[in-house]
Amino acid sequence: MVTKLVQRNFKDPKTKMSKEATELTAELLRIFVKEAALRSAQQAKDESSVVVEQKHFEKILPQLLLDF
Amino acid sequence: MEEQSDGEASDSEKLALDQRFKAAIHYTVGKICTELEEEMEVTFSRHIIAVISEATYKQSGIFASDLEDFCQHAKRTTVTADDVKLLARRSGTLANHISKVHKKMKDAQVASKEKKGQKRKKTGP
Repeated sequence: MVTKLVQRNFKDPKTKMSKEATELTAELLRIFVKEAALRSAQQAKDESSVVVEQKHFEKILPQLLLDF
Repeated sequence: MEEQSDGEASDSEKLALDQRFKAAIHYTVGKICTELEEEMEVTFSRHIIAVISEATYKQSGIFASDLEDFCQHAKRTTVTADDVKLLARRSGTLANHISKVHKKMKDAQVASKEKKGQKRKKTGP
C-alpha cells in the first residue's frame, strides 16, 4: 500500500521520495480519510440518521479541505 | 505511426495505473469506514465510500504537487520527512501528530540498528 502511494508521486519527473517521507505521507492520508469518515458520521448523528450518506459528507467537505 | 501507437500505449498504461490507485484507495477507505462503523454505531452507504475515495485521490494529487514544490524550493530532488512536516504545518495538532510519528519512526530505526549491531557483535567474536 505504501509503495503504491509512492508511485503516485512518480507522475512528476525526477522527483523521488525518501522512505520516511512516504510513511509520513501515508499517515497523513490515513488521517485525512479517518477525519472525513468521522466528521460525516458525526454529522449524520447530529441529524439523527443511522446511515451516513453523501449529503452529510458534502456538508463537512469544505471545512475538511480547509484543515488539510 | 509507431510513435502514435506508443503514445496510446503509455496513455492506457497510465489509465490502468490510475485505476489501480483508485481501487487501492477505495479498499482502504472501506476498511477504515468499517472500523468506524462499529465504533460510532452508524452505517456508511456505499456511495459515500466512493465519494471519500475520490476526494482522497484528488487530495493526494494536491499533496504530491505541494511536496514536489517544497523539495524543489529547498533545491533537492528527494522529498524528505521535513517536507511532509511542512505540508502539515497549517493545523497545529496535525503537525504535532506527524512530528510524533516521525520521532517514533526514528526511535524504531535506532532501536533496530542497535539490535543489528548487537547481533553482529554476538556473531562476530
